[in-house]
Amino acid sequence: MTGKRKKQVARAIQTALILMAIFVMLVPIIWIFMAAFKTHVDVYQLKLFFTPTFANFGTVFDAPYNLGDKLLNSTIIAFVTVVLAIPIATMAAYSFSRFRLRGETAMLVVILATQFVPAVVIILPFFVMFRDVGLLDTRLGLILVNLAIVMPFAIWMIKGFIDGIPLDTEEAAMVDGSSRLQVIRNIVLPMAAPGLLTAGIFCFIIAWNEFLFALILTNKDAVTLPIGLALFKAEEGDLWNLLSAAGIIIMLPMFVLALIIRKYFVQGMTMGAVR
Amino acid sequence: MAKVVLKNLTKRWGDFIGVDNQSLDILDKEFLVLLGPSGCGKTTTMRMIAGLEEPTEGEIWIGDRKVNDDLPKDRDVAMVFQNYGLYPHMTIFDNIAYPLKVRGTPKADIAPRVQKAAEQVELTEFLHRKPKALSGGQRQRVALARAIVRTPKVFLMDEPLSNLDAKLRVTMRAELKHLSRALKITTIYVTHDQIEAMTLADRVAVMKNGIIQQLGTPDEIYNDPTNLFVAGFIGSPAMNLINGSVQDGHFVTTGGTKLVRVAASDRAQVVLGVRADDMRVAEEGQGDIDVRIYAFENTGEATLLTVQWGKQRVIAKGDRHLRKDQDDVVSISLDPDHLYLFDPDTGNRIT
Amino acid sequence: MRDNTLKYLLVLPAVLVVFATAIWPLIESLRLSFTVGRLNRPGSLDQYLGWENYTWAFSQEPAFWNSVWITAIYTVLTVALTTLLALGLAMLLAPGGRFRSGVQTLLILPFAMSPALIGVSFRFMFNPEFGLFDAFFGVMIPPLADVSWLADPILAFAVCVMADVWGWIPFLTLVLIGGLASVPQDTIEAAQVDGASGWRVFRDVTLPQLAPVLAVVIILKSIFSLKTFDQIFMLTNGGPGTATQTLSHYIYFNGMKYGQIGYAASVAWLMVIPMIFLTYAYAKFVFRKD
Repeated sequence: MTGKRKKQVARAIQTALILMAIFVMLVPIIWIFMAAFKTHVDVYQLKLFFTPTFANFGTVFDAPYNLGDKLLNSTIIAFVTVVLAIPIATMAAYSFSRFRLRGETAMLVVILATQFVPAVVIILPFFVMFRDVGLLDTRLGLILVNLAIVMPFAIWMIKGFIDGIPLDTEEAAMVDGSSRLQVIRNIVLPMAAPGLLTAGIFCFIIAWNEFLFALILTNKDAVTLPIGLALFKAEEGDLWNLLSAAGIIIMLPMFVLALIIRKYFVQGMTMGAVR
Repeated sequence: MAKVVLKNLTKRWGDFIGVDNQSLDILDKEFLVLLGPSGCGKTTTMRMIAGLEEPTEGEIWIGDRKVNDDLPKDRDVAMVFQNYGLYPHMTIFDNIAYPLKVRGTPKADIAPRVQKAAEQVELTEFLHRKPKALSGGQRQRVALARAIVRTPKVFLMDEPLSNLDAKLRVTMRAELKHLSRALKITTIYVTHDQIEAMTLADRVAVMKNGIIQQLGTPDEIYNDPTNLFVAGFIGSPAMNLINGSVQDGHFVTTGGTKLVRVAASDRAQVVLGVRADDMRVAEEGQGDIDVRIYAFENTGEATLLTVQWGKQRVIAKGDRHLRKDQDDVVSISLDPDHLYLFDPDTGNRIT
Repeated sequence: MRDNTLKYLLVLPAVLVVFATAIWPLIESLRLSFTVGRLNRPGSLDQYLGWENYTWAFSQEPAFWNSVWITAIYTVLTVALTTLLALGLAMLLAPGGRFRSGVQTLLILPFAMSPALIGVSFRFMFNPEFGLFDAFFGVMIPPLADVSWLADPILAFAVCVMADVWGWIPFLTLVLIGGLASVPQDTIEAAQVDGASGWRVFRDVTLPQLAPVLAVVIILKSIFSLKTFDQIFMLTNGGPGTATQTLSHYIYFNGMKYGQIGYAASVAWLMVIPMIFLTYAYAKFVFRKD
């Protein structure tokens, strides 16, 4: 085989393998999308072609499922978690990035480590405490425990973004006449804005998808969307068309958010991890 | 406008000494260049003057005021950074206006002053753009404009030309010189480039290992270096430093050849400093010492001969019409009026 | 305000939050692990028991050892498979640049999907009556045509591994593409000019330079594999029997379903120990430049 021919074959194989990988990655998602528009009967017949119906989306919001309540819970919980976490994390991240603090490395390592603590470990004392103070099955309770997983992540990620802002620029502003707080407001925050947005969206996705805390801490009033999936396990088996419709309601907003920060996604996710 | 005085200034990080007990008086309206290799403490010195670095010991005075405890914003200095430090999220106009805005200058005053600063650096047509859309030289000008938009007591410039390509650097150097002569403001300028130092400075402070080696006019440090370091650092090509001894009032090479008369008493070991310009190249046998050519280079305006001088190599400058080849033998004579003798142990100048 | 005060004020709220939401519960669960700790027995949460919870787990509980074993195999398999497949995919995507940005975008989608939902969708895909993968494997491998995947201990475990690998490949691929991009192109070109074949270039030049990134990826994935809960809960709920019961699931069941908070806390702390080693290794990499 000539060199050129070899290259063509290699390229064809490469393309084929990539297409196969895409197919495998997307099939479960597409399958769920299709099932959400199928009738109960069509689901059971493994049909590729069917008449789409929107009825499932109506059903999941009706009694007894009332997915709207869960949607509202998830939205409020994830939103408030982010609104609390990002400013606090940004302040800390700036300080860690720009100053030498006493015990800085120790603090950073501990913050990093808490991110890896299994959720089952910290949820046990929280359950006991919430039971005593009446925070079980409340949005506030879930917001508080969500901070445990979101904060370390946000601090490290935002620190990574701030590390990337050249020190020159800040020093120029200080010589130009800014106080430290003016530097933070006029220079650092605008320059870190894409990073803060990325961190915010990441944290929102994490809080939105959070499962174990909600499973243990809620049962009726503060139930979130992922836990709501369990509603569709009926006596006669899972109601797959409804499960799929609920699944779409859970994942579609996250897909949209993830695509907004596409450019920073990998950078953000690996911040601190791979440098 | 003010003079700047450093009194016994020291900066240490743990065991590492950045600046070692240095004192320096910078005169009002003077253009002073801090020159030295990287890590010599020149940038640290400047950052301490700006207030970006805290001195370990010593005092810094700007005008009549001791500024050690002042924040950078309260020192009334302007600084041009090596990487310019432009605000990427602001337009050029806002970049230049920022020092005025943050100091509470009345709105009505800002626009004309920004306009004037922009005119001085020929940037008026780019005011609405963002830094990203500008070339390196233009960004450099924005940084300059941001410094001159106010009338600070002192200008600080940290290697402002080092990120530009060679050609642009020459142009900007001239612009900078023109501007500084026009503005008449005390300026401290850090560089490792001796040409910049020579061309811009009223006085140059040559630094090494946190210590000022010599402070003087460009003339003085070029023609009258006080020690081996300054002699070797200033000039291109660098001054030749030839080992030998002094016997009977003459310099004698390590190989035993007696050369020019020097005004020094006899000693067993000296280093003779001689610039390539101060050597005359002649045909074999017609000068003071015959040497073999290691490499012959023609730069167009002159020829450079690297010759094997015992175990050392020495660079001599020849006439631009001279044509020689590797391994040819030429004869070299030294100009007795432009020789420098140094003590090899202390590095200090003898004559 | 001077920076020296400000810098501590800035970190204070974050330190307090991290302490209250992560450090305190860790310490409190350590305390609980030494108590009788029954949810339905008032006062038992303060009733000191010594090491009994721990010795009970080691000596009296085959189910504990079962979940340790399952978690170990699960971690080794998912880490190895995900890393290898992601490395392969990253290698396919890294050169040329064709498809790359498009595929990268697609790869983000599974990653934004909740693990619980991944569990649900795999249960769906392997449903014996109308699951797509069930049907696909049935056609490709005839002996598997009539099995009920989630009812068979080994096959159910295999489905859990598949779901995990499926969910993590995108993230690891994206990270490894980044790692590959940071391998200097000229070292690869130098090796090619020196006469190395494609495989040799990969083995002798690319792989050694990718090693730090690969190490970080493996550590991170190990941590997440050890903790796995959401997917398994939705996919098999530990079953059939306890065939897919990971440690997290075992702790959840003992603590929440049986109300043995003290015992659950002791097992949870046993799980923290390998985490400490992995976190230490990870921190070493993160801080290696400082």
